[in-house]
Amino acid sequence: MKTIEQIREEIARTSYICGTCGSCRSVCPVYREIGWESSAPRAKIALAKEVFLKKKENKATEQYAQRLQECTLCGKCAEICAAGIKTRELWLNLREDLKARGMEHPNLTQMALQIKTSHNISTFPNEDRLDWAEDLDDVEVEVSKAGSEVAYFVGCVSSFYPMSVGISESIVSLLDRADVNYTVLGSEEWCCGFPLIASGNSQQVLELAQHNVEKVRALGVKTLITGCASCYHTWTHEYPTILGEDLGFEVLHATQYMARLIRTKQLVPGNLEETVTYHDPCDLGRNSGIYDEPREILQAIEGLSFVEMPHRREMADCCGGGGNLAAVDKDLSQAIAVKRVQEAVGTGATILTSACQQCIQTLQMAARQEKLPLEVLDVTELLWRSLEE
Amino acid sequence: MEQALQDICGEKRATTDPFELAPYAKDVAYVPAILVNLLTDSVPKAVVQPISAEEISRLIKWAKQAKLPVTVRGGGSTAYFNSVPMKSGLVIDTNRLQGFSDIELSPENNKTVWVKAGMTWKDLDDGLRQQGCAVCSCPSSAPSATIGGWVSMGGLGIGSVPYGSVHDQVMAIRGVTASGDIVELAQPVKGDAQQSAEALTLQFNDLMGTEGTRGIIVEVKLLVRDVPEQEAHLLAAFNTATDTGAMMSWLGGEHFTALYNVHFSSPEFIATLQQAACALEIPPGKYSLEIDLEGKRDDVEQAVANIEKQVELLRGTLLQDGVGAEEWADRFKSLRLEQTLPSLLAAEMTLPVSKFAAFYEKLRQLGQKTDTLCITYAHLVTPETALVMVLYPSDELNLIRYIVDLSFTSNLYKLGQSLGGKPYVIGFWNTPYLGKIYDKAERERRLQRKQAVDPQAMLNPGKGYNPPNIILNSYVFGFGMIMIGLFRPLVLKILKGGKGR
Repeated sequence: MKTIEQIREEIARTSYICGTCGSCRSVCPVYREIGWESSAPRAKIALAKEVFLKKKENKATEQYAQRLQECTLCGKCAEICAAGIKTRELWLNLREDLKARGMEHPNLTQMALQIKTSHNISTFPNEDRLDWAEDLDDVEVEVSKAGSEVAYFVGCVSSFYPMSVGISESIVSLLDRADVNYTVLGSEEWCCGFPLIASGNSQQVLELAQHNVEKVRALGVKTLITGCASCYHTWTHEYPTILGEDLGFEVLHATQYMARLIRTKQLVPGNLEETVTYHDPCDLGRNSGIYDEPREILQAIEGLSFVEMPHRREMADCCGGGGNLAAVDKDLSQAIAVKRVQEAVGTGATILTSACQQCIQTLQMAARQEKLPLEVLDVTELLWRSLEE
Repeated sequence: MEQALQDICGEKRATTDPFELAPYAKDVAYVPAILVNLLTDSVPKAVVQPISAEEISRLIKWAKQAKLPVTVRGGGSTAYFNSVPMKSGLVIDTNRLQGFSDIELSPENNKTVWVKAGMTWKDLDDGLRQQGCAVCSCPSSAPSATIGGWVSMGGLGIGSVPYGSVHDQVMAIRGVTASGDIVELAQPVKGDAQQSAEALTLQFNDLMGTEGTRGIIVEVKLLVRDVPEQEAHLLAAFNTATDTGAMMSWLGGEHFTALYNVHFSSPEFIATLQQAACALEIPPGKYSLEIDLEGKRDDVEQAVANIEKQVELLRGTLLQDGVGAEEWADRFKSLRLEQTLPSLLAAEMTLPVSKFAAFYEKLRQLGQKTDTLCITYAHLVTPETALVMVLYPSDELNLIRYIVDLSFTSNLYKLGQSLGGKPYVIGFWNTPYLGKIYDKAERERRLQRKQAVDPQAMLNPGKGYNPPNIILNSYVFGFGMIMIGLFRPLVLKILKGGKGR
């Protein structure tokens, strides 16, 4: 783990590279809502330069802290940056510094405390992690089953939030239909730590990473799948760095695994006469490089008419739910989501799919708020629906 | 003040909060606070974000009554304080003016759209491409530069060889005058008498390249084109500046229908990129030309065949397929070199292509003589003209080094001028060079127009006409730069050279 001094040195070095050209402005979902220059990535970097490179500590004000935490960590600014700055890393480092300064948003402090206490982001005890599985009539979800080939890491949102349990139900139903020998961790599954990394509390992640990896290794599975894009990113990009070693098993997002099952004919999608579009989750697409498999699944469903949104793949817009933004400014998060669902409706689609439980939840709320004729579903939910129908 | 402005724009689109105002006192270039504070009052008193011509009209009338100067800001992506206030006052941020109309087809079969001033060139192009159209040309800062901003500047960039300056592509403008009147102005018919310098009303040309000093652009009717049938992106590497310059002249002179863009990179530019692990396919030490062709399939293929022969004739090499396309994909990312050299100073000028090789050779000698690493890239912007950017490293963390380095810019302009070059934009920092950019008659005509349409000098004062103070007077400034320049070798020697960190 980096020390705070190393982090501050990195911030100083990176902020010096920024040429303040402003390419980042028009792609930033937060800037597009707030509109003032101070909310644009270049202005945040300019302030970081003052604080860390020019040592003007008086620039680290409450407004500065607020602006730094008004960010979805979508990484679109990095995609377009004319200077090639890895901005997402910079934002994470800046949040680590805010935490060290005691300038972290109180809701994020509360969330970090919650995870420390209950090992999940909800207010429920971790023993309730499998409550969602009780509603399943035909599928029996076995916990820590020895000899399993696959472990399914459910994630906090689709374990505890009723709006999202359809995702976990669909994934286990699909695994069951394809005769995959799988298991789940149940109450031994702890939060992956992504919300902590995103809030500048990465020091707290080591314990979670060690626990989760140890439990999965103990199962002896070949493959771990996650239904959550942020869990996937954390398992594949953060854990090996944090632990300083290979995990020793394959980690796939559920859409990658389902696409593989379809390719090998272990799973044959059904028929659905619907017009469907797909929202690339930032943590799966831009930040992890997975664009094709979710589309492959959708296009394998017979009768389905797939349409793309104008902003897609590397240049996909954020749903507004990333980076803990909703905990810092719920209205801002929602406003960003509204833009995204409106773009989806503009394609003529009646179903908007994604591959991230947080995106689904945020977009569902926006579609409901706007009373749009748009159903929001996870790709796995739609795939299961095609089989059910 | 805030209340009055919020009455016009609404609560969320007007601010006097010092935290919000501070970023509007900057643009792309870093200038030490000591110079900024000495010469300007750059922090605005308020910033507003109007969404219509009507709101802008009310804002102008209010500012006039309050005797506040008004500075319009789009992407803030220029480097000469073009959109930074000199006398504080009100900043009109155009970024809420977004969107474009349906594509219209004229009786002459031209396609046009009405596009709002705050949209970026990249956003417009992306939007048009969904409908099978594209912008004709765009600035190399297309992701940040706005429609209104580039029309207010020189308007030269990618695609200017076939389509000319963006000013030629603007068919009409909706704008607001210095007295707050909303006007719609059509492009004068070619061949008509030039606008009278004495006309008291705002004319179409008053808004072309005049940096928001005579009126405010709200919306423009822009010529667009169909997405080309075929594209080809070639990357040619040459051994000498002479061969490269000859190739650029040949490309300009051949008038290929399909020639869309030509981008020159010096060996120093390529080496700096390569230190940041970019452009690795280009052989080190070579001069490169990215040649972009777009148009009908036959035209593109014919041009490629001819270019291949000419490259060979000039002892150059065409790099493997895909390298050109990769460079084209990164065409808006020239700042990647800041990863290697994070504090660059620059001079941007137009230059006759025929003099390009001579310029480059003299620049190399100047760099050697002054121990300065000069990094050059250029675009062909007309068949006879290149838009040349020369960058050199400095260090904004070292005030003395940075100030003495600033003097080197005047050496670059002097060198360019000796070969028929001119600074590209004026803004604030280039006002000492006005005499080099325009002859006396043109300067007088420009001033006359300014006085006719903005007699109270309310719009973007301090820019584009006379130097705003004695320090920026061309003689005083020139003398000052010479004096500061005398200290530069000593400072660089103490700091171990001008080749960056």
